[in-house]
Amino acid sequence: MNFDSSQIFAYLPMLIVIGMGCVVLLAETFATAASRSGLAWLGVGGCIAASVALGLQWGDAAQATTHFQGMLIVDRMSLYLDATFLVAALLTLLFAPPYLREQGFEFGEFYAMVLFGTGGMMMVAHAAGFVTLLIGIETMSLAAYVLTGSWRRNLRSSEGAMKYFLIGAFATGFLVYGMALVYGTTGGALSYTAIAAKVPEASKTPVFLFGEYFILIALFFKVAAVPFHMWAPDAYEGAPTPVTGFMAAGVKAAAFGGILRILETAFGNPLLVFDFTGWANIVVVLAAATMLLGNLAALRQENVKRLLAYSSIGHAGYILVGVAAMGLGSASAKPAVLFYLLSYTFTTLGSFGVIAWIGNRQDERLFVDDWAGLGASRPAVALAMTVFLLSLGGVPPTGGFFAKFFLFKAALESPQLYWLVVLGVLTSVVSVFYYLRIVVAMYFREPLRPLAPTDAAATRAALVITAFAVLLLGIFPGPFVDLAGPFVGK
Amino acid sequence: MGVLAWITLLPLAGAVLTMLVPREEEAIHRGIGLGTAIITFLASLFILSDFDASKAGFQLEVDKVWVESLGIHFHLGIDGISLWLVLLTTFLMPVTLLAPQAIGTRNVRVRDFVVAMLVLEAGMIGAFLALDMFVFYVFWELMLIPMYFIIGIWGGERRLYASIKFVIYTLVGSLLMLVAILYLYAQYHAATGAFSFDYVSLVRLSLPFEPQLLCFLAFALAFAIKVPLFPLHTWLPDAHVEAPTGGSVILAGVLLKFGTYGFLRFALPMFPLATEAMAPTIAVLAVIGIVFGALMAYVQDDAKKLVAYSSVSHMGLVVLGIFTLTQIGMQGAIFQMLAHGISTGGLFLGVGLLYDRRHTRNLADFGGLWKRIPVFSACFLVIVLASVGLPGLCGFVGEFLVLLGTFGAHNEWIRSGLAGGFLPLPRILTIVSASSVILSAMYLLTMMQRIFFGPLDKPENRDPHVRDIHGRERWVFGIIIVAALATGIYPQPILSRSEKSVSGLLSLFQARLKDAKANPEATPHIYPANP
Repeated sequence: MNFDSSQIFAYLPMLIVIGMGCVVLLAETFATAASRSGLAWLGVGGCIAASVALGLQWGDAAQATTHFQGMLIVDRMSLYLDATFLVAALLTLLFAPPYLREQGFEFGEFYAMVLFGTGGMMMVAHAAGFVTLLIGIETMSLAAYVLTGSWRRNLRSSEGAMKYFLIGAFATGFLVYGMALVYGTTGGALSYTAIAAKVPEASKTPVFLFGEYFILIALFFKVAAVPFHMWAPDAYEGAPTPVTGFMAAGVKAAAFGGILRILETAFGNPLLVFDFTGWANIVVVLAAATMLLGNLAALRQENVKRLLAYSSIGHAGYILVGVAAMGLGSASAKPAVLFYLLSYTFTTLGSFGVIAWIGNRQDERLFVDDWAGLGASRPAVALAMTVFLLSLGGVPPTGGFFAKFFLFKAALESPQLYWLVVLGVLTSVVSVFYYLRIVVAMYFREPLRPLAPTDAAATRAALVITAFAVLLLGIFPGPFVDLAGPFVGK
Repeated sequence: MGVLAWITLLPLAGAVLTMLVPREEEAIHRGIGLGTAIITFLASLFILSDFDASKAGFQLEVDKVWVESLGIHFHLGIDGISLWLVLLTTFLMPVTLLAPQAIGTRNVRVRDFVVAMLVLEAGMIGAFLALDMFVFYVFWELMLIPMYFIIGIWGGERRLYASIKFVIYTLVGSLLMLVAILYLYAQYHAATGAFSFDYVSLVRLSLPFEPQLLCFLAFALAFAIKVPLFPLHTWLPDAHVEAPTGGSVILAGVLLKFGTYGFLRFALPMFPLATEAMAPTIAVLAVIGIVFGALMAYVQDDAKKLVAYSSVSHMGLVVLGIFTLTQIGMQGAIFQMLAHGISTGGLFLGVGLLYDRRHTRNLADFGGLWKRIPVFSACFLVIVLASVGLPGLCGFVGEFLVLLGTFGAHNEWIRSGLAGGFLPLPRILTIVSASSVILSAMYLLTMMQRIFFGPLDKPENRDPHVRDIHGRERWVFGIIIVAALATGIYPQPILSRSEKSVSGLLSLFQARLKDAKANPEATPHIYPANP
């Protein structure tokens, strides 16, 4: 067992985030009601420090290096994802305090859980072996369960947390079982590279394939791909609004990071990708089903949170198109998925930030009709929300448009995916229809009752940053595309 | 930065400036809006002076790297086809903003209206000038959002329905076009190893028949919805009737031209085989649209709906002109686009003014207005006659050239072997579409008669509120009439500047067609660059 302290420093951003989580947890003991919001700022500081550490690492990460017997890896993809998680955490920590205070459940543990969850996500992004993947996923998920149920007096919150926890536990069962099967059939391989080396032989036994798909099923649960999406609408609706944004963006991004990594390395062998039993086919079918169901179900929702929950399922479908494209050999698919996740994180956090902003203790204003007249009374917020909704719908000049454009461009490199792309754009039209329902309410209708939003300087600042970022990603996407990774043609 | 980049970005700068002024200062907002539009128009006149009519290719190009790794460039350029459409855009926008009725009857949120109009202008100019398919698509969609808000916020009773219908129709077409653009990009990459969205590069790509047909259909759907070509026109009457006057003017005057412009710019040179195969079908649909739109216009009681259906009819003529695939027909189509922009823009402004005075658009509520508001009535008559196609006014030239081109297409089509089996087609189409001249006289003059002639027997029409045009309105209608007269009496400057580009496009199309037919089995390959 060799241990080199430099290995630790390669994971400094993750350590900072988790360490800051511990600090927040300790500080909570001494916090009073007035000073409690300072805990969120501690968390924000942690995120910023982690971002700085991440920036310092960027140059060295051009070459991927593995540590701890091939269990963890540092490369550009994991750092790009780390940055995405940090964005999600940072924005959640800015949006949450006013909301929590208004609804009367501000606890320091909440902020600590956001940080622990972020640490878990980073672990997933860096995981290059089964053990680390499991630890990462569990850390992230446990934090998400707790956050979902953190509004203890609210029945929906508890219900959502319960459903999320039960189904999540079930998924973890699949994950561990699958890992055991793969471990057994590959003769005790734990790291992805070791598994990949054994694949030509191990893939001859069906048991290995069972193991492979059990693992994938667990990950599909986490991204809420159809037909493993049942928990998502309830959990998303029940969770406190800032948590919903954090889950919909962060947890999803992390799970997709895990999927990309495991499919690319452990199961990247053409033996496992193509043919009838290959994962490419299955991902294609899941992508189609997810895009269709997510977007069609969203059409009928009256509750904005639930609407965005279904739309978030639809977005998982688009990202799966990118995953399928990666399997079929499209060079730009991975950067496209990474860019999509980054853009989606900004957009989703921003839109849930507005949802958290608009309500107050008496009246959460979660229905589409409650948004009537916002464009006249609060033009700036309405404009920001419009930018987010257009970005979700994939309308230029927003990040969401460029992300979809980039993703579909990657998918069109393989002729097998033409029909999927056409399906993707058609479901996008459907999605624009329901996103515009909110825009219609905001701009084209008269308000039903006076507005009393949960206003706070932090929320306003975060909304400005987010809206600006979404536009930046749409108008000058170049640098972010380049950071997502070099790609060369087939 | 070249003049093209300036005129694209000027309206955006004006929009940002408008947003910075507090909400209450409505006069300042209107001032900034009008000022920006006028400056943009004056700047666009520089294009005219710098434009070299003897060249067929693109001029005054601007080319800046946007996203290097994906081969996206901010590439703008102008040729004889887009030149007049850009000028039409920059001309109509200040005229519209000058009209006091532009915002419609819901005279609220002036700032937002000005911002929407200016963003719309930037989108339109950018889309006409874009020579990079990505840039084209971005501007194409950028037009959609402000128009959606213009209909949705300042529109009439059923504005929600109309605005969402407009968006969904347009998006279905444009997103499939996006897929086709991405497909071309992938094919270009496969053939050359380079990443490029550049129009000038992608137009050199030669595809086999089947992919050409699919791409053509994807592009054509987007364009046919915009035109709108029968039977995809159903969004248009709704959108026009609900939109405020300014929205209708820009929608009919400029936005519809994107469909026909797209056919000329993209569909023809990029997919010659598919164009040849589809030309008779589209020509027939266009003629159906001409007659159907005219008949629908004739039975309308709502003046605005009447003008909207007349657009369906007149734009059908433009599509017909393009798909004759002859020099005269195409030049006629370009001229007709311009003429339709001026005359229909004028008609919508006129109907908007009538609505402002009388708060109704129902033809039965009018009658005898000439006695009450003679100056406006005379102005409106000139615009109506321009739209009907009276010689000496703008509508005549385009209509005449298109019909001439369609008739001449008979020989052209025999010579090039087009539409093999059914040769009398162009002549039949000419005869049927020539009826549009009579039909448009019928419905427009009937409208004229019901509004302005007859006895002044309705008490509401004698109301002192029914004032003749005054103030800025004089300018609006004066400018429109001068434009209609000038282009009608002396069309040569317009035709001569589009001539080279059209003949260049046509010879390119024919050369590609010949080459593709000579090697039907050829895999995707790249044609050499044009000399």
